[in-house]
Amino acid sequence: MASQTSHSHEHHIVPTSTYLLTLILLVLLMLATVWAASFNLPAIGPFSGTVVNQMVALIIATAKALLVIMVFMGVRWSSTLAKLWVASGFVTLILLFGILGDYTTRHYEHQHGWEARPDGSLPRSTPDEEVVPPINANDLNVKIRQ
Amino acid sequence: MSAITNTSDHGHDSALHHQFEDIGQQNDSYIVGMWVFLSTEVMFFGALFFIYTLYRWNYQLDFYIAHEHLDVKLGAINTSVLLFSSFTMVMAVQSAQLKRRLHVIGYLLTTIVCACTFLVIKYFEYSSKIADHLYPGAGFATDAHAAFGAHAFEAGKLAVNMNHAQLFYALYFGMTGLHAVHIIAGILVILALIRLWVIRAKSVTLDYIPTEMVGLYWHFVDLVWIFLFPLFYLMPKPH
Repeated sequence: MASQTSHSHEHHIVPTSTYLLTLILLVLLMLATVWAASFNLPAIGPFSGTVVNQMVALIIATAKALLVIMVFMGVRWSSTLAKLWVASGFVTLILLFGILGDYTTRHYEHQHGWEARPDGSLPRSTPDEEVVPPINANDLNVKIRQ
Repeated sequence: MSAITNTSDHGHDSALHHQFEDIGQQNDSYIVGMWVFLSTEVMFFGALFFIYTLYRWNYQLDFYIAHEHLDVKLGAINTSVLLFSSFTMVMAVQSAQLKRRLHVIGYLLTTIVCACTFLVIKYFEYSSKIADHLYPGAGFATDAHAAFGAHAFEAGKLAVNMNHAQLFYALYFGMTGLHAVHIIAGILVILALIRLWVIRAKSVTLDYIPTEMVGLYWHFVDLVWIFLFPLFYLMPKPH
């Protein structure tokens, strides 16, 4: 029995009230996101109302995720090494989504079946639409993104 | 330090394994190891979320019309059920730390009941999709009017691209299906853990860490759903 009591101070025992409060917050945030989704939120600056709606939903989801990770998964009370590993997966995820930056800045995309045509590959330097008169997309086997 | 002396006194009764300095270092190793696994899971689901983002970006309106078949109420109930199960799981871990054996078993059983409730609701959701032929493949949404209602039509013509709607349901079944597989795996792991507590296995009664590991996995499953719910059920109307 001595061994059990001696190392009880080694791990942090979180009071039930903290967990209960977290649960209440999580349920309230869930209701908030459903409530927010019932409105067509107005556009803010360059973001359309649809994007604003989606951002609100994702911000609430991130808040919920943080509550679960920090309190329920106990990351708040864990070691720096553990925290580093917690971050690693999500950092990788952010890098993955960084690919979208490349995707959205391309003006052309391949036509369906481009790989079957011998001239299907696109030159690295794509002519700028504003300088060069519009190219015939069928010739290049690419189409301009809408 | 006292933990080390205790191992030499009665090594077979202590939770501390010989390769660790003290119980704190041992617990930390377990938790880091579990998070390494969870990181791979984050990336696994992350790739699917990325595919979702890409197609949703391209086919906003089609995805919006396709998503309207989903029932927000059922989704919200399922979210609450999972959030509550996370709470009971964390209480099971706390009871394991305090060595309250019957409390642990009770909380773990409640978690399983919640998990089963989630799956039953999911079963009814899937059934209503299958009844309207909303699964990807030949014969997808053969009766578009029954599946998507009148607002999927504009001047008598179908306003939704069926290929894109099909893509939405491929993602819906793929992502929620993979999540459901994780729920089922979670139920099996929790059942195994309950068995260890029932037979008073020293691996769980002396050391709260096995219960904590199962808890971390269960919270991760909850975490995935926290993002699946708004992305699939609460899609904003393009405006």
